[in-house]
Amino acid sequence: MSWRAELLAVEAVLVRNALMASRNVFFFFELLFWPIVGVLSIGLMTRFLRLTPEQASFVLVGTIALSVVNVCQLEVAYAVLLDVWSKSMKHQFMAPIGIRHLTLGSWLVGMVRGTAIFALLALLGWWAFGFDVLRPGWLALAAFLLGCFLNAWVVGVGVCALITLFGNRAEAFAWASVNLVLVLAGIYYPVSVLPEPVAAVARAIPLTYFLDAYRAHYGFASEFAAPVATGLALSALYAALAHWAFLAAVGRARRTGLLLKMSE
Amino acid sequence: MVSFTGMLAIDARDVVKTFRSGWPRRRETPALRGVSLAVPRGAIFGLLGPNGAGKTTFLSILATLLVPDGGSVRVLGHDVVREAGALRRRLNMASGRPSFLWSLRVGEILAFYGRLYGLAGAPLGRRVDELIELCELGPHRRVPYSELSTGLKQRVALAKSLVNDPELLFLDEPTLGLDPDVSVRVRRHIAELRRDRAMTIVLTTHYMREAEELCDEVAFIKEGRILARGTCAELKRRIRLGDVIALRLDPPAVGWLAEAPGVLRCAAADGWTVCTVDEAEKRLPELLRALHVDGVVVRNVQVREPELEEVFVELAR
Repeated sequence: MSWRAELLAVEAVLVRNALMASRNVFFFFELLFWPIVGVLSIGLMTRFLRLTPEQASFVLVGTIALSVVNVCQLEVAYAVLLDVWSKSMKHQFMAPIGIRHLTLGSWLVGMVRGTAIFALLALLGWWAFGFDVLRPGWLALAAFLLGCFLNAWVVGVGVCALITLFGNRAEAFAWASVNLVLVLAGIYYPVSVLPEPVAAVARAIPLTYFLDAYRAHYGFASEFAAPVATGLALSALYAALAHWAFLAAVGRARRTGLLLKMSE
Repeated sequence: MVSFTGMLAIDARDVVKTFRSGWPRRRETPALRGVSLAVPRGAIFGLLGPNGAGKTTFLSILATLLVPDGGSVRVLGHDVVREAGALRRRLNMASGRPSFLWSLRVGEILAFYGRLYGLAGAPLGRRVDELIELCELGPHRRVPYSELSTGLKQRVALAKSLVNDPELLFLDEPTLGLDPDVSVRVRRHIAELRRDRAMTIVLTTHYMREAEELCDEVAFIKEGRILARGTCAELKRRIRLGDVIALRLDPPAVGWLAEAPGVLRCAAADGWTVCTVDEAEKRLPELLRALHVDGVVVRNVQVREPELEEVFVELAR
């Protein structure tokens, strides 16, 4: 495929997902309601527990990361979910489109939505709890957001693979998987508090390193050497694995006929 | 030298497909059991058969949506498994049970698929306009897909299937559930596509009249095998269902007709006595003579070949 065709295919998915998102009644809940409820309830809890500003920031970083990763990965999962729900899978996969176009186009929309949520929650955190997301600096913030989006990509593409492998039955993964990843990555706590076998799993999750690097700027000593570089390396590895898994799942669906079963 | 296979739009040989499901006990459902079919470029070819015969499975393999278990399939010169990517740009498909993203509007659906096939900017806008006009979707351009009637949804599917101006078009039950007047327009449009654009069209249908009207050739599939293939006229001759002589008689009931030499069966319908005979040319004079001798007045006579539907019933039996 030429570069122009590659870009057009990505643009097609991007425009489609953006249009669908703008007409989705759940969009309001995904973008505003749940994230705001999350930050307010966790923020108030930090006050009740009389946490220091640094400890409160530690917890709020996790809360914001949860919303950003969740929304972005859902958008990536929509690359397949939208067609599963509308039973139009076969039209998409009969067209000259690769899974890279599907996931990249969806991811770009997810990043826009994730950035919007981050900005909103940052403002809310600053106004309600004095939480300053810029304290670590722009570079650290950019690395943190990049880490969130890369993790969202990996989880979202993994969910796409599972849905393509198991059909509608795997839909629950779209909502459940990211929560599991965040619990393991130390959403409200350092991974050192996890029991060793679980901590080992946590060390295999890229988001663990991005959370660690960002929180280090709030007075918590980093648990890892070169956390951003490690997080990026792990993200690249998992992104490649997730892409391969999705590709293999589509190939299998073409062999088993699941692609047709999920259409019309 | 012109190669014969180069003139074929579809060259399928011994195609086998079995669906496997269930766990832990696997169920195997053979869908295609060695289908071989060659379709020349520029033809309208019909795949006929009862439900579950394997028509859609075969069409899906040709459209690269399904991978065959065995055999070889070349479409427009490409292997459907190894060269699927190159092939997808050159074909398209519309279904009688279409489904697209429900909240996208008609114009947005066509633009989405247009981009996937490499259109952008003004050419994309022009193509969408052309298709909307061609399929008479103008008043519905900004209507969400979920709010369209069945007929309009099928017109959207047809418009989408033409977005890349395909060389080969698959139509899976294109007039299923449509009002008769819309079906007539769709059929007329299909015929125009071949005439104006030299498009090869493969369609599946349950409507025998549709196949007779549109198809240069048809193939009957049953239980994953092609039972017969040819032009509609050839098939009627080959199946040897006989010719039909319809008589309007006075008195209308003549008991001995069914027993007359050469008469295979007789039935009454709408004031006509419809006799199926082995050979109309030979039997008609004999019957008229016998009726005259018996004092029966023959008020009208019609002779016709059997309907393709009767061939279908015979083959599907």
